[in-house]
Amino acid sequence: MPLSTNSQIELTNVSQSFETQQHQVVLFQDLNLSIQQGQSYAIMGPSGSGKSSLLMLASGLEKPTQGKATYLTNEQVQPLEALRKDIGFIFQQFHLLPELDALNNVALPLKLRGQKGAEQKARQWLEKVGLGHRLTHKPKQLSGGEQQRVAIARALVFEPRFIFADEPTGNLDAVSAKEVTEILFSCCKEHGAGLVLVTHSEALAEQAESLLMFKDGQCSWIRQSNQEPCHVQ
Amino acid sequence: MFSNTLRLAWQLHHQEKGSVYNRSLRWIQSILMVFIVTLSLTSESVQDYLNNNLQNLLGADLVLSQSHPLSQAQWAELKGLSKNAINTQQITATLTHNGQWQRATLKAVGEDYPLQGEMKTSSALGEEAVSTAVVPAEGEIWLDPRLLSSLSVDMGDTLMIAQQAFIVSRVLHHEPDRLMEGHNVDMRALINRNDLPGLNVADDNMHYRYLVLASKSQTHAIINWQKTHLPAARIHHKQGAHPLALFWKRTENFIGLASVVLFFMAAIAIQQIAQVKMKKEQFFTAVCLSLGASRASGVQIALIKWVLSILSMLPAVVFFCTLCHWLIVQWLASNLIQLEWQFSLSRFIEPLLASMLIFAVFQAPVWMALKQSSVRQLVYNSHNKGSALVSIGCALLVLVGVAATYSDNGLLTVMVLGAMLSCVALMLLSSWVSLTLGEKLTSRHSGLVPFALFMMKQRLLTKTTQILGVGLCAFLLLFTLMLLRDIGNTMQGYKRQHDGNLMVSQASEAQMRDVILWADEHGAELRQSKPFMHAKLIAVNQQRLEDFADKPSGSLATLQSAIRLHWTDVVPHNNRVVEGTWWQPSEPDWQQISVEEEVMSDLGLQLGDRLTFYIGEQSVEFTIAASHVYTPGAGSITFWIQMPPSALSHLQAPRYYMASLELAPSAFTRLSDLWQAHPSLRMVPMKEMIARFDNLLAMVTRVVSGFALLIISLAGIVIVSSVHALEANERKKNSVIMSFGLSRGTCLRVNGIEWLTTALIAAAGAIMGTWVAGLLIYQSQFSMNYQPDVPWLLTTLAIIVLVVMALGLIASRTSLNSSIRDLMQE
Ligand SMILES: Nc1ncnc2c1ncn2[C@@H]1O[C@H](COP(=O)(O)OP(=O)(O)O)[C@@H](O)[C@H]1O
Ligand SMILES: [Mg+2]
Repeated sequence: MPLSTNSQIELTNVSQSFETQQHQVVLFQDLNLSIQQGQSYAIMGPSGSGKSSLLMLASGLEKPTQGKATYLTNEQVQPLEALRKDIGFIFQQFHLLPELDALNNVALPLKLRGQKGAEQKARQWLEKVGLGHRLTHKPKQLSGGEQQRVAIARALVFEPRFIFADEPTGNLDAVSAKEVTEILFSCCKEHGAGLVLVTHSEALAEQAESLLMFKDGQCSWIRQSNQEPCHVQ
Repeated sequence: MFSNTLRLAWQLHHQEKGSVYNRSLRWIQSILMVFIVTLSLTSESVQDYLNNNLQNLLGADLVLSQSHPLSQAQWAELKGLSKNAINTQQITATLTHNGQWQRATLKAVGEDYPLQGEMKTSSALGEEAVSTAVVPAEGEIWLDPRLLSSLSVDMGDTLMIAQQAFIVSRVLHHEPDRLMEGHNVDMRALINRNDLPGLNVADDNMHYRYLVLASKSQTHAIINWQKTHLPAARIHHKQGAHPLALFWKRTENFIGLASVVLFFMAAIAIQQIAQVKMKKEQFFTAVCLSLGASRASGVQIALIKWVLSILSMLPAVVFFCTLCHWLIVQWLASNLIQLEWQFSLSRFIEPLLASMLIFAVFQAPVWMALKQSSVRQLVYNSHNKGSALVSIGCALLVLVGVAATYSDNGLLTVMVLGAMLSCVALMLLSSWVSLTLGEKLTSRHSGLVPFALFMMKQRLLTKTTQILGVGLCAFLLLFTLMLLRDIGNTMQGYKRQHDGNLMVSQASEAQMRDVILWADEHGAELRQSKPFMHAKLIAVNQQRLEDFADKPSGSLATLQSAIRLHWTDVVPHNNRVVEGTWWQPSEPDWQQISVEEEVMSDLGLQLGDRLTFYIGEQSVEFTIAASHVYTPGAGSITFWIQMPPSALSHLQAPRYYMASLELAPSAFTRLSDLWQAHPSLRMVPMKEMIARFDNLLAMVTRVVSGFALLIISLAGIVIVSSVHALEANERKKNSVIMSFGLSRGTCLRVNGIEWLTTALIAAAGAIMGTWVAGLLIYQSQFSMNYQPDVPWLLTTLAIIVLVVMALGLIASRTSLNSSIRDLMQE
């Protein structure tokens, strides 16, 4: 059942910088960005350029040093913190809990929320990512690609409006990366979740509707499905 | 090459010393070191003191004492063997004045006293003591200051002792021959020897002490002479050991044995810390290997770092040991007059080395695991957990080592260790059962509680160690506190019920007749009355006692002086035969005895062993036919050694009685009549006995509290280090929970539930253990019905739970501070 697709993350004139002992590290300045639910965005750029920081900022977990971050949902404007319960994450290192088997890892977000029928729903999701036969396997018994598929099921099972993925295929071989990419995009599409992913892989970035590039301290759109350009200083 | 390694190790040591696991490790090691070193320092101070005491307070080169006088011939022989010799007599008497009474040691001396050293007296209380060369004139008595004030007498007053009047003429401060000063805190009085016959105390319970001046060779000659001619006499000399030396050795051993608990807790904490440490050290060694260095240098660096960390602790350890030692010496000084505190660095060396050895054994598994580290671990980002068997083995080695070092009594060791082991087993079982059940019952449900239970079940091993640390600590505290409290409360009523309110601990036959007359006259009821005679054990299977048993034990310490030998045809109501068979009334064989079980095990005796006793002035051999134990409920007067009454016709020795009476409160004021007639009658009102017991209890409570403080700090460290061992996993867990769009508050709640469960299981285990121990020990040892004070137990439960939760959450705060960002950076 796809979600209603009327939510949007708005970053207006945001800048992010860090004070270190001697000097100031500026990651980006006066960035304008609008992330629509149901759309997919890829962010590329060299290591240390600020991609993960942008994810933290867009997910409302960290505050920008300057600028405004808002969350528009049901025609209401809210501070970005209100986004907290509507987002899921996928990581490069998968981060499944080693103590739990695949089924319980996926059921975990639902169980923590006290929802009924958690395991049944988790089973459906695992079947959807093609792991219906490995429900009782612990993360250690799964390959990297399989672990990441479990992680995708886990991130989507509680039906968040946005998924943030930080280099989801960074630890995978080409074949698994391709499978994982397909599953990730199709699942997000099917459920109407917005997808923001950081990647080094051209192939993965290709699949996204929009592509944002960090380069030489600059940040620019390479491809954009919507309006809302990213102004660069 | 080595200096490079050293420099690197020094650098690493500095970088790592702030980390939680190193800090916890330092705390554990410091606490244990302070404990071991302080115990050893204190023990040495006491032994020093005793030695010094022996040198100064013998008042002679050699003192021979026994309960009957030397014959003319023996006295002449002794004089012939020495440079000079004098004799004194002393008796424990109860002095009365205006209806008040006080037990004191009454010493009778002649003009030749003192033989060596000086006597100090003054002419009134509060005046300076001066050395005095004369002794009390006939009809005079000198009292020590405490006796003066407890009887409320003044200089010049008259004291009546057995119808004889004595004028109090001086205050007695110091006699040079008071060897037992440390132990015998009886009040003292001095009279002239010529007054003694008038006191009518004759031979009963008189102590004859012969002070002798002798050279070294003469001393040895006298000792040999005593062995053959006076085997039951006790001899003290300046070349020998203090009579209390064994007692103190035993005290040290008991405390040492109790410290097995501390080491057990430390082993748990160190085991947790080792998990983290092993990972870090292996990683470092693997990096060294990948950079072309040898495996040996990795191990070397680990070793040097360890030595450095121990060395860095030493100043603080030495400081705290000195402080504790000083405090304990001040405290002991009230019992061991003139015990002095001294600082000596060299005394630290041995106990410090011993504790370092212990820590090295604890650390051994970490170093052993380093041998298996390889570059492979870096490639696969894995680490070797080390062998659980090795770490358990090392911990066991330490525990067994400590127990063996301090064990001097098989029965006690087995009891202490057995109680601890069963408590540990109980906790293990209860945590496993409750976590498994909790997890099974809630696995179908959603919510935070099932998740918390599930995670705990997954980490059963770590959780169990946490529970064990907390629970054991709580159990020990609860149990000792409860025991002390309850025994104090129950003792009074209990004793009274069976024993009456007046104990006669020794009365001659004539005295006993008068006691019974007095009891009839004042309406007092005689509850128990049992005869005995004094007997001194001199040999076992023809082997001298000193050679037969050389391990210190309570029994041996007592057997070094005369014990009380009881005779009866039937097994007393408050005894039970556990081994062998008791004699029949008409059996012709009178040379058989029954020996108390603990004495048997302390001395390593067996049925059929032959014991030689010196009774009166003859030595008699008995064969052990049976062994008995005390069973409570039928009076407390019991004897270690008992023989058939048919033996009486073969023995020439004064007979005495132990008895107990129940008096009306008004009759107590008439007790002084009895003491007037018989100053040496040994009789104690139960009130005074309870007061003595309360003093003892107060002392034990202080020792236990100090010990409890150590246990509590170790339990705290167990919690902190076990939290730290899981910190990486916990951080990840919390971050993952937050990545599901849940808040930090959810993580806190999950954590709170985990700690609540831990605390509940631990507290429940502790209370259960206390309950069971209460039932068993109260029943078997004191024959009391254990009635747990439920509100008290529940209050303690609540306190334990709150403290553990608070401590756990505080310790977990780093892992609660995690963020999703942590998951992005690898
Ligand atoms: N809290 C912080 N304080 C200081 N510097 C930070 C902080 N967070 C990130 N940085 C720095 O910001 C830069 C960008 O980091 P990040 O966003 O993780 O880059 P990317 O994901 O593109 O590799 C890095 O150089 C990092 O060291
Ligand atoms: Mg990054």
